[in-house]
Amino acid sequence: MVKKIIEDVSAFLKGFGSAFKQQSTEYIEFEERELENVFALILMGAFVGIPSPPTTLVVRLMPHMVREMHVMQRRAVDLDDVFGEIAGMFDID
Amino acid sequence: MREFLLPKKGFRTIFVIGKGGVGKTTTSAAIATALARRGYRTLIVSLDPAHNLGDVFMVALSDKPKKLAENLYASELDMEKLIKAYLKHLENNLKNMYRYLTVINLEKYFEVLSFSPGIEEYATLEAIRNILLEGDEWDIIVFDTPPTGLTLRVLALPKISLIWADKLIEIRRKILERRRMIAKIQGEQKFVIEGQEFVLPKEEEEDPVMKELKKYREEIEFVDKVITDPNKTSVIAVMNPEMLPFYETERARESLKKFGIPFNLVVVNKVITLERDVPEIRVKLDAQRKVLEEITSKFGGIEILKIPMFPEEPRGLGWLEKLGGMVIEG
Repeated sequence: MVKKIIEDVSAFLKGFGSAFKQQSTEYIEFEERELENVFALILMGAFVGIPSPPTTLVVRLMPHMVREMHVMQRRAVDLDDVFGEIAGMFDID
Repeated sequence: MREFLLPKKGFRTIFVIGKGGVGKTTTSAAIATALARRGYRTLIVSLDPAHNLGDVFMVALSDKPKKLAENLYASELDMEKLIKAYLKHLENNLKNMYRYLTVINLEKYFEVLSFSPGIEEYATLEAIRNILLEGDEWDIIVFDTPPTGLTLRVLALPKISLIWADKLIEIRRKILERRRMIAKIQGEQKFVIEGQEFVLPKEEEEDPVMKELKKYREEIEFVDKVITDPNKTSVIAVMNPEMLPFYETERARESLKKFGIPFNLVVVNKVITLERDVPEIRVKLDAQRKVLEEITSKFGGIEILKIPMFPEEPRGLGWLEKLGGMVIEG
């Protein structure tokens, strides 16, 4: 009985802790995604009409950019809800 | 002998620049011939897409250095082939991320890449880099360049590319920094795409993007170091005693100064000297006098050499050596 209670409490605390953990890096993760988006955007600038870095460099980096391109695409898809995301991050409902 | 034309620290690179038709090719061929005659192992390369180096030497040249005389080798870069090879190289690099190609239609984009602005400059720079990489095979490398505009853009590329690389490295560093922070708290971050899972790189040494950026930077820096080193590179501008080539040379000097590329000599080619008065070309002679006066005052600190208009076209090794001797002897 006592064992069960201790288990429950520790599970609760773990969940509690991980929620905090999640929250603690939320801003950094957002920032990271933004930077990745910017990085990909700069390299793919030619597509949207901004001057792009040397073609050689772009094409050489491209094969390693799967993650950044994915982030950029997601960003474009979610573009209509940027404020929602920011509001969520700052706990505004 | 003009010191800036001789090897000092390793090999010497000489760029001969100038407006179209002023005699760049003849001058560079002459310099190369004269230097080779004096015992320096010399390579002359034509970077001009409209080649006529072969015409000056009166032999057919290809992109492989061809021996023309003792110590004298010449080649003409095949720009079209170069651009194709360059694109092929890029395409192979790209093959890896083909899952994504279909999404954003890169494949179609690739087809037009060979027509994209600037590709010629990048290919030229790549060609110069490859020649400089094997520079130690030679004592002197003479580049006969395309007309000023394109040449200046090619010479500006290393600096511009370095700025881009530095900026991108900076952003990349920030991204990796954030990734490390997150990993410290949350543990290793995984990224799943189309069922494939991979760990996000977070250290500079393991991030392929960072590695590629740094490698690119190194490659460009090598070219930049060579072309901005006065002990390794000199630029010779060829012009005619006319107003337009003069203005262009002046602008070229400004640009070269901005990129930190040593500019050493102005060759004023085809200066007309007449014993008697010919009224039909008096206007031209007046213009010539005016330009010659202005050159001396405008190009302070840079050597100026006047080459007269010869009664016959300087063709053949004998003529070239004589002409080149005038340039390299101070």
